[in-house]
Amino acid sequence: MSAKESTLPDYRDLAPEVATRFDRIRQRPVLLSVQNLEKKFGTNGSTHTVFDGITLDIHRREFICVIGPSGCGKSTFIRIVAGLDEATGGQILLDGKAVTGPGHDRGMVFQGYTLFPWLTVKRNVMFGLEMRGKDKFTAENEARQWLDMVGLSKVEDSYPHELSGGMKQRVAIARALANEPRILIMDEPFAALDAQTRCQMQSYLLQIWKKVDVTILFITHDLEEAAYLADRILVLGTNPGRVVEFIENPVPRPRSPDQFVEPAYLSLKLRLEELIHPPVEVEEDKLPMIKLTNAGDDVE
Amino acid sequence: MAHRDWLGLKQELPGNRRLMLTLFSFLAPLLLWSAVSYVPWLWHPLVHVTVPGDVDYFTDDMDVPRADYDRELAKVKAAGGTVPEGYAVNPVYLPPPHKVALAFYTAFTTEPRLPNEPWLHESLAHSIRTICWGFFISSLFGVPLGIMCGTYRFFSRLQEPFIEFFRYLPAPAFGALCVAILGIDDGPKIAVIFIGTFFQQVLVIANTVRKVDPALIEASQTLGASGWKLVRRVVIPASISDIYTDMRILLGWAWTYLIVAEIVGTMSGITYFINQQARYRNFDNVYAAIMMIGVIGFSSDLLLAWIGRIIFPWKRKAQSSKSAPSWWAKLLPKKTSPQPSQA
Repeated sequence: MSAKESTLPDYRDLAPEVATRFDRIRQRPVLLSVQNLEKKFGTNGSTHTVFDGITLDIHRREFICVIGPSGCGKSTFIRIVAGLDEATGGQILLDGKAVTGPGHDRGMVFQGYTLFPWLTVKRNVMFGLEMRGKDKFTAENEARQWLDMVGLSKVEDSYPHELSGGMKQRVAIARALANEPRILIMDEPFAALDAQTRCQMQSYLLQIWKKVDVTILFITHDLEEAAYLADRILVLGTNPGRVVEFIENPVPRPRSPDQFVEPAYLSLKLRLEELIHPPVEVEEDKLPMIKLTNAGDDVE
Repeated sequence: MAHRDWLGLKQELPGNRRLMLTLFSFLAPLLLWSAVSYVPWLWHPLVHVTVPGDVDYFTDDMDVPRADYDRELAKVKAAGGTVPEGYAVNPVYLPPPHKVALAFYTAFTTEPRLPNEPWLHESLAHSIRTICWGFFISSLFGVPLGIMCGTYRFFSRLQEPFIEFFRYLPAPAFGALCVAILGIDDGPKIAVIFIGTFFQQVLVIANTVRKVDPALIEASQTLGASGWKLVRRVVIPASISDIYTDMRILLGWAWTYLIVAEIVGTMSGITYFINQQARYRNFDNVYAAIMMIGVIGFSSDLLLAWIGRIIFPWKRKAQSSKSAPSWWAKLLPKKTSPQPSQA
């Protein structure tokens, strides 16, 4: 199409170190297995298929980003993984066991923070620990460690409304991770933040992920975010929702914003653009002409 | 564009103007009342006779309509008799502000006329006791039931249709029934306040609980909360401060039922006092007693609002759509919590 594309490598050509990394990942056990997942709305008569036949395996400690045009059901997909919605067909296995209903083995971070406003930052992080029956002393100690890791020890006694958006989301991440989930599900967690904070949060998240043994399933509509964070990018299509491509990210780790000009990054981004924003075919000849009338014509 | 500063659409006014308008909202009716009371040519439809003169039916300390007075005065003048004297007054049912203000004190110190009649403070205490019992018993059942209805569709469908119907039955209509069942003392009065409050309470609280952000419930589920733990640790704390606000509004309604409730059976409390004073034509005491109800209701609400700010520290920042129901809440000193540095 463009001259630029011809100078870029194919996004499927992985550099040797990236290829070996994916080989290593594939050797890890499968953590989450989605099999022929289907979601339909509506009862007999008119049914609307949100998505159909989604099948994929996610290995332990992988970082998966899910992207797709609006209406592809990516939010519904991870809500089903989290157990907040029910699928109408297929199944999800976590460590080989079928997922039914929400549970603490799948931590979730929402776009809207969803911190409990009546609890202090520390008590928010302690919430899941206490739900799992840990005594207050243990829970408090663990909560402190997690807050320390996200750099929020100073505000542990503040209430959520006293924090900025970025801080709130860090508390939400700490709260989810404190429960030691097998997989951390994040639903456009940084979409409500301003560009600069979002950038910081992305780097934070990568740092945290490095330190913690957790698999991440991350929904975003920001292609650059997906390219920056993910090991693999799940691209969903619409009408009905389905897997279009499951792309192995060719950008080597450790990631940094400097890589945004590297060929591997650019070729990946170009491919994502193609998949998400297909070029709109406009036949210019068929555009209706708007007749311009001269107001003077009507004046006798 | 000075008017813009005063009448900005949905714009909050600066503090000094807020205070000024607040004072004015009380001062305006007071000024009108004072004007009618103290400016002799405003209204004053009666003449208070000081010297009867030669008018047969005039007596000392008698109020006669001005027209009658003028007619009799003209008659006496024409006949050449002793001229009556008097000054313009308002009817006895409109005492001037200073008398009512004085009555706020004297009503407490005036000894009851009848031996078994209560003093004013006893009447007030009786009223407060009645309302507290009525509201307490109503809340004892209404709050848990409201929370259950708001949380579980099962209880909502099971209870609310009947309650929705029942709340249209006016509480005073049950007065006679309550007396028949509970006797003539405080029982039926408390029952009327209960009936007036309870059914509203269940519905209002159920609605408040239903408004808990579902995202918070989902978040807690992904953290391992479920069942009764979820209700106790998420649903109730998420709605408790709004329930508290509901309770403040409901307590205000309970006050309106008080007067009706006190007429049921043997009249008691502040209603009895007001009725007796009206019978004795001590209208300054009547006004004072009515205002005392307002003062007690208003100041108890202020107190509850203040307590609310202490026990719900996370609500100090106006973030709830339903934080404070009244204009005066904005006048309270705002406690600012330290803002941590931005991330």
